[in-house]
Amino acid sequence: MLTHGVRRLPDGRIRVRLAAREHELLRSLPAQLRPVLAGEQQVGDSAQRLFPPAYDDLADETEYRELVGDDLTQERLAALDHLSRSVAAGGTRRLVWTVDLDAEGAAAWLSAVNDARLILGCTLGITQESVWESAPDPDNPTSVVIFWLGWLQEELVAALMRTLPDS
Amino acid sequence: MAAAPVIAPERTWEPSEVDERDRPWSVIVWNDPVTLMSYVVFVLRKLFNHNEATATKLMLQVHNEGRAVVASGPREKSEADVARLHAHGLQATLSQD
Repeated sequence: MLTHGVRRLPDGRIRVRLAAREHELLRSLPAQLRPVLAGEQQVGDSAQRLFPPAYDDLADETEYRELVGDDLTQERLAALDHLSRSVAAGGTRRLVWTVDLDAEGAAAWLSAVNDARLILGCTLGITQESVWESAPDPDNPTSVVIFWLGWLQEELVAALMRTLPDS
Repeated sequence: MAAAPVIAPERTWEPSEVDERDRPWSVIVWNDPVTLMSYVVFVLRKLFNHNEATATKLMLQVHNEGRAVVASGPREKSEADVARLHAHGLQATLSQD
């Protein structure tokens, strides 16, 4: 029996099992991320990283931003809210927290966890992939969290990859 | 008042102008140091229905060469593809070849 991680249930739902302290960490994340995703607060180059340009040409880019900018923001905030709600649900037994997600919930988790890593990457000022070759810095909570979120995202991707057509 | 001589415009520019607009646009995904390789493969498969081998090949091209063309087509479709990639947190642009 899987005690820790993410797996796909026979009925298609995605089961997430986390240690109670990991669950606590996820509870605290949305409040930190929301103002950055909403554009009310910037961390490093987060605005550029979260909402990168589509065009080199300034006029084309302005038009693109006017057309889709708000939808992109709202979609990301909705995913974060979904994560927030499911983190508040679920149940803890013997220090293990469990929640079962439907397809929409699992997609929201994946999106929110990815955004969390992008934002924490901006906080840490990560510019080189070589940072992943070493262990997280135990004295820097942000470093520990981004590595842990990387594990969680790998788990989510592996479970969701099996839901794609040619798998 | 003498009218300025009118020179009939050459009409040959029209077809090339049309060709210019019709030339396909490329959707480009760019490397970044934070996004997981497995996540890029997942997104490419989900959005473009690539099989695992094709998606992995494109992801490795992004990783090794800094960028890869993941789709191409008319401007409107390419722009929609870029918006979906952006919604998934990937660095993507479109440009005309």
